[in-house]
Amino acid sequence: MIDPALPSLLPALAVSLSDAALGHFQATAAILFCLGLIGFVTRRNLIVMFLCTEMMFQGVAVSLIAFSVYHGNVTGQTFVIFVLTIAAAEAALALGLVVMLFRRRRTLDAEAWAQLHD
Amino acid sequence: MTIIDLAKVIPWIPAAAAVFCGFAAVNDRLKNAAGWVCVASIFTAFALTVGIFSSAVGDLSGGKADHAVAPAHDATIALVADTDDSHDDHAHGDGHDKPKPGLVSHTVDVFPWIRVAGLTADVAFFIDPLTIVMMLVITGVGGLIALYANGYMAHDEGRARFFMGVSLFVCAMLLLVMADNLLLLYLGWEGVGLCSYLLIGHYFKHDVAVAAAKKAFIVNRIGDLGFALGIFLIYAELGSVRFDDILPLAKEMVEGTREIPPNLVFAPYLLMLGAFGKSAQLPLYVWLPDAMAGPTPVSALVHAATMVTAGVYLIARMTPVFQLSPGSLELVAIVGGITALYAATIAMSCNDLKGVFAYSTVSQLGYMFMGVALLSVGGVFHLVTHAFFKALLFLTAGSVMHALAGSLDIRTMSGMGRRMPVTKWLMFCGCLALSGFPFTAGFFSKDLILGDAIAKGLVGPEYWWATVAGILGLAAAFLTAFYTFRLWFHVFSGPERFVMGRGHGDEKRQPISDLEAAMIDVAEEEAHEIEAHGGHHATEPHEMPLWPMNLPLFFLAFGAIAGGFLLHKVGPHYIDAMLYRSTQFMAAPDAPHTYLLGIDAHTAVAVISGILAVSGVLLAMLLFAINRGLGQALGAAFRPIGYVFEHGYFVDNAYHRLIYVPLRYTGYVLAAFDQLVIDWAVRLIGLVPVGAGLTIRKSQSGHLQGYGIFMVAGIAVLAAVVFIYALR
Amino acid sequence: MQSTILTNPLTIYLAVVIGAVGLWFMMPKGRQNRRIVGGVLAAAALGLGWFGTYEALDFANLGLSAIAFVYYYVFSAIAIVSAVMVITATKPVHSALWFVMVVLASAGLFLVLSAEFMAFAMIIIYAGAILVTYMFVIMLAASAGGPNDPGEDEIFDLRSRTPTAAVIAGFLMLAVLLTLSFDKGNQPNPLAAMPSDGEIIAEVIPNRSADVLRDRIETEIFRFDPSAEPVIHQADPERLSNVEKVGLDLFQSHPLGIELAGIVLLVALIGAVVIAKTRVEDHPEPRPSGAAHPSGHGEADTGAAA
Repeated sequence: MIDPALPSLLPALAVSLSDAALGHFQATAAILFCLGLIGFVTRRNLIVMFLCTEMMFQGVAVSLIAFSVYHGNVTGQTFVIFVLTIAAAEAALALGLVVMLFRRRRTLDAEAWAQLHD
Repeated sequence: MTIIDLAKVIPWIPAAAAVFCGFAAVNDRLKNAAGWVCVASIFTAFALTVGIFSSAVGDLSGGKADHAVAPAHDATIALVADTDDSHDDHAHGDGHDKPKPGLVSHTVDVFPWIRVAGLTADVAFFIDPLTIVMMLVITGVGGLIALYANGYMAHDEGRARFFMGVSLFVCAMLLLVMADNLLLLYLGWEGVGLCSYLLIGHYFKHDVAVAAAKKAFIVNRIGDLGFALGIFLIYAELGSVRFDDILPLAKEMVEGTREIPPNLVFAPYLLMLGAFGKSAQLPLYVWLPDAMAGPTPVSALVHAATMVTAGVYLIARMTPVFQLSPGSLELVAIVGGITALYAATIAMSCNDLKGVFAYSTVSQLGYMFMGVALLSVGGVFHLVTHAFFKALLFLTAGSVMHALAGSLDIRTMSGMGRRMPVTKWLMFCGCLALSGFPFTAGFFSKDLILGDAIAKGLVGPEYWWATVAGILGLAAAFLTAFYTFRLWFHVFSGPERFVMGRGHGDEKRQPISDLEAAMIDVAEEEAHEIEAHGGHHATEPHEMPLWPMNLPLFFLAFGAIAGGFLLHKVGPHYIDAMLYRSTQFMAAPDAPHTYLLGIDAHTAVAVISGILAVSGVLLAMLLFAINRGLGQALGAAFRPIGYVFEHGYFVDNAYHRLIYVPLRYTGYVLAAFDQLVIDWAVRLIGLVPVGAGLTIRKSQSGHLQGYGIFMVAGIAVLAAVVFIYALR
Repeated sequence: MQSTILTNPLTIYLAVVIGAVGLWFMMPKGRQNRRIVGGVLAAAALGLGWFGTYEALDFANLGLSAIAFVYYYVFSAIAIVSAVMVITATKPVHSALWFVMVVLASAGLFLVLSAEFMAFAMIIIYAGAILVTYMFVIMLAASAGGPNDPGEDEIFDLRSRTPTAAVIAGFLMLAVLLTLSFDKGNQPNPLAAMPSDGEIIAEVIPNRSADVLRDRIETEIFRFDPSAEPVIHQADPERLSNVEKVGLDLFQSHPLGIELAGIVLLVALIGAVVIAKTRVEDHPEPRPSGAAHPSGHGEADTGAAA
């Protein structure tokens, strides 16, 4: 049912954030993104590393939606769908690769793969 | 398009041949063609030069100055001339009653070269009679020598390389003498220096040749520095390097119609330095005797006939500028005279076949300098005749050397005449001309110089330097005749006795010099080369074949004997007529008539020098052909002097002690400084990146995450800079 | 209006530094973990940051109701705390579970922003599908080991890699981003420069299928309650729900994107199958002999001992 009188939790669609409110959402997004980044760099478990990349996606999604509302333009939300799509595809492939790597070394430790240096 | 425009192409013909020979040097099939291409190119250039020459002679005979070009000293003996008013034309006979001979000069533009801020130096050719004379000598004598070289170098591995050097040399030498400006002249000057270096070092497997090549190049650098500074000074003072501008300005200054820039008087001294270096005069002569390490045709072409006369040419070309500077021509004359005598004394006690001729070249170049300094036609005239007879002498010496497998010590040679009769008499012609035997080419030209010197000296006490130079020259003339025939009698007369170069026969003789050792090595290599090709190498001396070796020598011998007479005494006096129409004498005053012993000074000197030459020849004949015992006894008696002579007055030693050794020790000190201070400073700097690398390499762990950190940090810094500071 | 910095950036930077120190303490570093200290410090940093930025808020022009903004603080706090737990948990399973909390909290943030469709899509797809896959893989990898399998708490999970450098770099990045987030004038959103989606949709619908849309709205959407008087909606963009807006935008403006996304998913599907079916070698390759980290061989021993 579409009821025009939705509770205030879901305010009118014409909502457009102020700069300061946008800043707060962006701050949250940035914190999520950077924590994901730090996690990706510090964690040595391959699966957790990919989990951290998903967390960076979360930060991006929050940021995109906040901007979408700020600009009153729904395209930002549409983009999150695409982000979600890519994240799903990435999860499928990455997890497959992780399983393959695990088969070769019998460990999920990223330190076991140091073949980038000559 | 007149015939003079042919000059445009002349230097490029041997240049093209040089390119071909360069290709031939890396292509075995073309190798044998290289020599003939070289000869053909030089003779083509000669033919074109003759075309230009004939047109210039047409100018000479067709002009109103036809019969007025007889030089002053050629006037009749009966003429009465007082020296005091020598500038008064009316006091003289019809010999002086003439207009100044008209200047003949053409400028042929080829293409623009350097045009920068007021400096114009195009590749353009300045054709005047002096140039034509030089071109004829270079291409004519050069072509004959190249022809001979075809036989001489036939079995040399690097013959294509050799002929490339020769072709390039002819090109550079032609550029030198045809240059329209000092810069192009300098280009040719350095070009011949380079070719000389390459050709001296032809046998580069032998240290002697390499060292000699370097020595020639380095000694010439000293002179060339002076030459370059001279060019700079002339440009700074006169604002041009073109002869068309410089020489008329200098003429006006000599005649007093224009003020002389104060610094210009130094220019001749600087140019002189270059000329002395290139032409091996004191004190820069030391490279020429060593340069004999090159193949003998090179010695004939580069170090006797042409390149070493470049200094003479330079002074002849720049004579009006030299006249500006008090004392410069005087210095040239004195240095020339001293060098003539000095080198003659060394040649007298030299036992090295090529060495005698090398010192004799130095000596004869001294005459030439004396000639140009005295404003005498004889300077360039002697250059021409000398080219013929010295080329002849070197080539015949080369034949002897070739026949004896590199042997150079004349003391081991005797009675070669029976084995090599043609060579014997060819060399005899050359020796006659060199010794100034009456009515040979050398007699006329040398006498002209000495006559002008003595005659000028008699004008007044202020010309003392001419007298000094003349007396030095006369003394040298006697010594020249003596040492020339000493060598000839040594080699060709007497009982037959010879020692082949090492490897032939049992007698292991100590070579008299490093040069001889190197030459013997070369001869051995060639012998192996011939045997490898199935040929038969003679183990005994043999006459050279007529073609292509002896035939050009006949032409040279003809020039050596008859050239002087034909050029100087017959017809319109070609050499005098031509040179008086060149820029060399554009500002020269008329030479006065003077008397010596009651007769015309020139005639008197001619008689004296003729007597000296004949007596020198006779003395040599007495000591080295008729009574060799007496010669040896006299040699022993004068041993101490001979020792000094033999070692070239120890000049090489002095240079070694005074220049080489101090430089070497300075070098040690500098090298130590370099290694201890500078190198260590550099190494310390080098340790910085090494340390940084040792630190940073740990980051290259190969783990993806490690790189991720740097990526993150990099992006953060980049974002901070771009978004917070740059785009604010 | 001049663009001014809303808050004193020094406060933010101080919060960032404290947060960095706190996170550093929380990082698993083997035995001596002072995670409590780190947690307190990190919480203090978060509080300091919010305190510092609170003054910038102008509740009259917020664009949201004040209550909604309270929910912002709640969901943000949950998301951030959960995120910290994701990267500091020593067991992968815990990380994954904490990540579910991150997804849920950010879905709450979407709701605050009235992006309902994305909020529920996020929960369904992420928390529902993707996370389940992760959990499966974690379990699989943990249990599929050989006899020497060390089990879940492998030593490499107990020891984070270069925590100092990572924390410095990450918080440097965070400082930049936060500076940019609050680097705006304190004004109501002008929304003047951009055409709002209201205008866009108003423009699109009459051109394309205004009547069709209206018919469908009237006949299909509201057919659920046939007895009710059908509410006649004007094609009023202000009245469109978030889902309708997203749908319109998605299919109106990004049809190519949808196709591409479909292709990407298809490729990922095929790729996953191929990777899964590739029999590499079942025997583990030997570790590089020069492995500098003791965890390399140590894990097997630890596991066996355990």
